Amino acid sequence: MNLSLEELQREYTSALRQHLVLSDEVTFQAAYEIGRRALVEGMGVLDMAAIFHRAMVAVSTPAGTAREAARRFEALESFLLESLSPFEMAHRGAREANTALHRQNEVLEEQVKRIAHEVHDVAGQLLASAHLSLAQMQKKAPQLRTGIAEVRRHLDRIEEQMRRLSHELRPTVLDDLGLLPAIRFLSEGVSMRSGLQVRIESPVVGRLRPPLEIALYRIVQEALTNVVKHARASQVHVGVEVHDGWIHCRVGDDGIGVDRSRASAGAPATGLGLIGIRDRVASLGGTLKIESGQDHGTELCIALPLESAHESSRRAG
Amino acid sequence: MGEGVRVEQESKVRVETEADIVLARQQGRAIARDLGFTLGNATLIATAISELARNIVQYATRGEVILKRIENGSQKGLVVIARDEGPGINDVRRAMEDGFSTSGRLGLGLPGVRRLMDEFNIHSEVGKGTTVTASMWKS
Repeated sequence: MNLSLEELQREYTSALRQHLVLSDEVTFQAAYEIGRRALVEGMGVLDMAAIFHRAMVAVSTPAGTAREAARRFEALESFLLESLSPFEMAHRGAREANTALHRQNEVLEEQVKRIAHEVHDVAGQLLASAHLSLAQMQKKAPQLRTGIAEVRRHLDRIEEQMRRLSHELRPTVLDDLGLLPAIRFLSEGVSMRSGLQVRIESPVVGRLRPPLEIALYRIVQEALTNVVKHARASQVHVGVEVHDGWIHCRVGDDGIGVDRSRASAGAPATGLGLIGIRDRVASLGGTLKIESGQDHGTELCIALPLESAHESSRRAG
Repeated sequence: MGEGVRVEQESKVRVETEADIVLARQQGRAIARDLGFTLGNATLIATAISELARNIVQYATRGEVILKRIENGSQKGLVVIARDEGPGINDVRRAMEDGFSTSGRLGLGLPGVRRLMDEFNIHSEVGKGTTVTASMWKS
């Protein structure tokens, strides 16, 4: 116990002792102020509970009449509530911030979707017009054929780049057909580029909540990129299934594996690109497990609740 | 507060010292318990009073806390009005953001009070003072 905690404990115990003799606002205020100071000094609710427990033990007296005991319990409860009240305030703040973060994420995805659409459709139409103009130009001036052909090659390259960018931003197949078709589409691309064999197994049909589909798509995308970059694997399997209100997603490879000591700590995870996955999983209230051994490949096991905590609490409340 | 809110009774506490904060809390808690608020909500009301009164002592030196019973149809509630003639707040919007002050970063202070109460309103003029009105309805 450090000094400030000892000091808090002493003050708390003494205030509680007074409170039990004479429940008045002065001792309530003391409980509140001690709780507030504990919060400011970085202590948590459990520290406060421990302080309360120690104080309660310290001031315990032999049980009197039933009425005295009841009054005592009531005084203990109100005193505890006072010292926890600052934590309630902080907790509400954190909850509000988390909701805001969620909303912001949704807004960002929405913007990305719009940009992807603009890049794909609008710019695509403009390019088509450019091609038409070139065709007309060539009719009028056949001698420019070589030059026009070169411009066309540039335009085709621009179009290819834009299409890729648009798909990376937001695959339309995800919005139109859902998670598994999108993962299949993604895997085909990865296989073509890297030679990696990707096997997809999933009994899941139908659609999930959009935030879940987007998150899982991005997670699989990141996981496959990791495999290509680091794992030296020849095969990878992706499994998606639903159990008891959770969606489970596994991405496993037959590569070199990651050293346990390196995969567990926070810092090396940055190098493995796992931080993004971890944050995404955490923001949806899910879990991430990494199973790996030297030369035994790596498997990421992700579990996300099908229903958001936000929605279910709203329903409950 | 919407129309049709009936004010029943009020109590006014001058706030300048720690002892005044205790008195304001005591009045607020008494009214809250009398209105039938749960122990938990009465505690939250006392907390809101603490934070508002603390701001008065800290930034305006002195001021007052007014506690009123309110009614809206069959609903009963309590409003806390914390008023001072201190320096006022230059940027009220920023003052209501978490992270504006040390206590704000932890969700305490004015943003904390806003989250504890059902309704919250702040009016401040530089050089004239600040009035915070916060109410809780009995559910």
